[in-house]
Amino acid sequence: MGANQRLRRRTVWLLIIVLAVGFGAVIARLGYLQIIKGEDLQRRAVEQQLSDTTISAKRGTIYDCNGKILAQSASVWRVVLAPAYFQNDDQRHFVASRLAEILSLDEQSVYEDCQEHSYYVSVKRKIESEEKEKILELQNEIEEKYDISNVISLFDDYKRYYPYSTLASSVIGFTGSDDQGLSGIEYQYDEYLTGTPGRIIAAKNAGQTDMPYGFNQNIEAVDGNSIVLTIDETIQSIVEKYMAQGIIDNAVYNRGVCIIMDVNTGEVLAMASVNGFDLNDPFEISAEAKEKINKIDTDYLVKEEIIEDPSKLSQEELNKELATAKSVAESAALAKQWRNKAISDTYYPGSVFKMVTLSMALEEHLVNSESRFNCSGSYQVYESTIHCHNTAGHGTQTYQEALMNSCNPAFIQIGQLIGEEKFWEYYQAFGFADKTGIDLPGESEDQFFDWEGVEGAMGPTDLAVASFGQNFSITPIQMITACAAVCNGGSLVQPHVVKQITDKDGNVVKTISTETKRQVISKSVSDEMRGILEQNAVEGSGKNGYVAGYRIGGKTGTTEKLIDENGDGVKDYIASYCGFAPANDPKVACLVFFDTPTSGSYYGSQVSAPVFASIMGEVLPYLEISAQYTEDELQNVNITAGSYTGMSVEDAERQANLDGFNVTVKGDGNTVLAQNPVTGSSLPMEGTIVLYTDEESSKEKVTVPTFIGYTVYDVNIIASYSDLNISIAGSASSYDATAISQSIAEGTEVSPGTVITVTFSAGSIND
Amino acid sequence: MSSYERSSRRESYGRERRSAPRRASDSYDLERRSSSRQVERRRMRFSLLSIGRGLDVPFILLILVLLAVGIIMMFSASYPTAYYQIGDSYYYLKRQLLFAVIGLVIMIVVSYVDYHYYHRFALFILGLSYFALVLVLVLPAQNGVHRWVGIGSFGIQASEISKFAIILFLAHWGSRYYDKMDTFKYGILPAAAVFASTSLLLLLEPHYSCIVIVFILTVVMMFVSGIKLKWLIIGGVVVLGLVLLLWVTGMLTYAMQRLEGWGQALTTTRDDGELWDTTWQTRNSLYAIGSGGVFGLGLGQSRQKYLYLPEPQNDFIFAIVCEELGLIGAVVILIIFALLVWRGIVISLRARDRFGKLLGIGLVTHIGLQVILNILVITDWLPNTGISLPFFSYGGSSLMMLLFEMGIVLSISRSSVMEKS
Repeated sequence: MGANQRLRRRTVWLLIIVLAVGFGAVIARLGYLQIIKGEDLQRRAVEQQLSDTTISAKRGTIYDCNGKILAQSASVWRVVLAPAYFQNDDQRHFVASRLAEILSLDEQSVYEDCQEHSYYVSVKRKIESEEKEKILELQNEIEEKYDISNVISLFDDYKRYYPYSTLASSVIGFTGSDDQGLSGIEYQYDEYLTGTPGRIIAAKNAGQTDMPYGFNQNIEAVDGNSIVLTIDETIQSIVEKYMAQGIIDNAVYNRGVCIIMDVNTGEVLAMASVNGFDLNDPFEISAEAKEKINKIDTDYLVKEEIIEDPSKLSQEELNKELATAKSVAESAALAKQWRNKAISDTYYPGSVFKMVTLSMALEEHLVNSESRFNCSGSYQVYESTIHCHNTAGHGTQTYQEALMNSCNPAFIQIGQLIGEEKFWEYYQAFGFADKTGIDLPGESEDQFFDWEGVEGAMGPTDLAVASFGQNFSITPIQMITACAAVCNGGSLVQPHVVKQITDKDGNVVKTISTETKRQVISKSVSDEMRGILEQNAVEGSGKNGYVAGYRIGGKTGTTEKLIDENGDGVKDYIASYCGFAPANDPKVACLVFFDTPTSGSYYGSQVSAPVFASIMGEVLPYLEISAQYTEDELQNVNITAGSYTGMSVEDAERQANLDGFNVTVKGDGNTVLAQNPVTGSSLPMEGTIVLYTDEESSKEKVTVPTFIGYTVYDVNIIASYSDLNISIAGSASSYDATAISQSIAEGTEVSPGTVITVTFSAGSIND
Repeated sequence: MSSYERSSRRESYGRERRSAPRRASDSYDLERRSSSRQVERRRMRFSLLSIGRGLDVPFILLILVLLAVGIIMMFSASYPTAYYQIGDSYYYLKRQLLFAVIGLVIMIVVSYVDYHYYHRFALFILGLSYFALVLVLVLPAQNGVHRWVGIGSFGIQASEISKFAIILFLAHWGSRYYDKMDTFKYGILPAAAVFASTSLLLLLEPHYSCIVIVFILTVVMMFVSGIKLKWLIIGGVVVLGLVLLLWVTGMLTYAMQRLEGWGQALTTTRDDGELWDTTWQTRNSLYAIGSGGVFGLGLGQSRQKYLYLPEPQNDFIFAIVCEELGLIGAVVILIIFALLVWRGIVISLRARDRFGKLLGIGLVTHIGLQVILNILVITDWLPNTGISLPFFSYGGSSLMMLLFEMGIVLSISRSSVMEKS
């Protein structure tokens, strides 16, 4: 090969390499960057070009189902420094000292900010309008004094307010310092609530100064979407009021839970973990918890086995240990108060679960009107003996009676009929094996049996105890969802707390509609269960949950906790009640759950059922579910006193009688000068209205007697003798109900006709 | 023409110089004499645009197009920086235009000079290159590197001279000893020595990217000059072994780290401190390129040139081109560059003699190489080490040097046997 030819050939190769490989690679690389990575790089470029000139977007509002505002953002301001504009140190010192004074910051740290060569140093966020005015004055002052502007700027910012402070705190949740949702709805729907921060494009170059050439484009901040909850503020308030009272009455150690759910749609109307916390100040620990933390001392450290022997430690080390223990306790207290027990706690459902067990048996046609279940007070399963709460035994029962007696041996027998396999199948079908998927953060999973590693398989005694709700754990939200399925015709609905998402103008962005997961039991079984549970609420173990005038179905439950959490040496219990109304066409289900009552009574029927009844007694009328009273009940129904003052005694008497009251006249005058109870007060039908006809008589007092321990009938008689009116609360419809408390204490001097609320409870029932 | 090309070197010289002896050993002397004494050709007379004697019209048109586009884009990229830092948006444009005009004049003038003239200066210019490389080391550093030599406000990078010097020297050598290029002594040793000494001096500046360019140019020149392929293979194995050794000893990782965040431009975050700053330029180059997409933001519409991309008129100008003109604009410009390279190679291959061929190939390859490496740098495939983009990057001396070199290629085109329009 000649030298020229070789050169020629090699050059051609060179050309091919340069053009094909070199330029090819270059074009491929550019194509990759501009087409495939283009969008990402462009986004990052835009972010950088605009990052420091963001306009905060207003976080969306959270409403209850009636449009009441539960959480809202209000305008505040952010103070930003552009220290690069400072010309000398005098100016820095002046601004630092003034800013530190206005914003109550450390002067030295503000001065350090002033020394940075930057056009954007955030000094303080969320200042209120008062401070803002002072900053504006300072701006003018700086401009006059030093002829520099732009050193301090104010940017719009927002602060979160919760008008109802503690209401539904664990559901609504709160936000952090950067307006990011940290818990509850604020966290779960953060993406929707946040909005898109706005930007001023091209107003700034990389040096953060204005650009001389066009390309001005303002992107307005897009405010966050608003969330409309299914929670009803009124119902939530009712729930929290009675739950808080229940906690006081029963000295509940570890808070209580109440959920009210629409059984047909899965909408949660109220969800309370009581006591809650103040959403406006979520990091404030409750006084009670604080007291405990303050009590942490050396003895505590020894008791908790944090230290062995205090004498071996120096004072300094001891103080350090104490401080650590306190901060640990503080974090624990915060975690505890923020915890949404309704979805995060798991517990043994106990006897409440019997409604599920019986539904299984009915659906599988394993029990019928011929079936009988014997209870001798205990039941032998393999090597263990399981006792019934009624140690004398319930005798022979039908399945309806078994549920009303809440008889454990009977349910063990029903459980055996169902068998492990079917039991596990239905357990899953009722949704216990999965999280419900409610739109709130922090939902826990159930803990069911596994036998030799097989999930859902049970050991010899497991099925026996499971059939009355023991030894497996579920969450309250799972229980009420299953209860809804039992009573609503058999469909398992998706529980949810958000109804709608709307944009800032109120246009609907998204509607969360009812989602039925599956049909668990047939409508006929559901119908039958409703009947049995209603009967139970009227005359069975659930009768303390009965609400006069309404058709209630419900079941009590009491479960023993394995750990003595409060360390008082007495077994801890969870008292619960799960019911629904109206029993003929259920609208709402309600679960009441108290964790560790310590006042002596711990049965669901005694602790939770009365609270359930009180809540439903207010919620059902609010939901405009009309009451249908029985004849007996009619007597106890409160009606409103009319105005009789100013009438002649005769007219007043006639009118009061017409209104359904008895009348006692005090004094000798002809005209009614005053009345007790006053106009508009509510008192029972056939209650006593006292009419005063002269000054003298109106000073007359009566002494309140005790009503405790008497039946409704007796209480009424005593009251009428004393010229007092009685308003009946709690379960008064059963024959053996007795008064357990009265609103005005024995021995108090009151005017005749005063209304005293007496709470009744059916005695001697447990579960 | 074809018969001319096909005939062997020996025959052609024989034909030209009929009285020359035909013995093989004498013909080497002939080539040597012809190169040093510039017989006959110096007296050639050129005329503009005529076949056989005129300029290559496509090549000069491609140069003018690239120069025009380059200046427009340089203006677009530089005006925010010029405005903010100098206070005159037209600062860079005015200077670049001036240098372009001077450069064009130089180019035309040089195209009239018979390139064989440079045979004489090959060694002198190589010496000048060494002198400049040593000189920069004694001169005070700018931005921490010793690269510029200058008189008053006019400066030139020593490496610009070196690159030209090496191409010229290797073309000179390769044409003189064309028949001994397959030996180690003639084919390898001189080139290796020149490369080694030059790169040692560049290492001291330091100017790594230039070493890479010089290395590739040296290899290319040796390759086309006709060295034995086994040397290339041996060289390749040695380089590979060296890299492997560095890798095994962990030196490579160290070197990569020293290359200031190469390939990490997009993964670095603000928290990385210094690394964030060192990768700033590359990252913003990538942002600019990506922002352009397929169609670009439009001429003058770059946002990254607003102080985000430092010195957008220099090495990273093509990032702004990509941002404003998009992938389509970038590819069109690259195609024009490719055409220039292709045409340059065609011109070179048809040059009358070996010196012209080698010189032309070297100069044109240099441009192609510079384009490829520049874009690989701005796209973060190569470390950011200062490789300018011919015709686009701002810089008076380098533009004039470039146009001077293009003048030489045009001069070669005058004597090459081809259709020139």
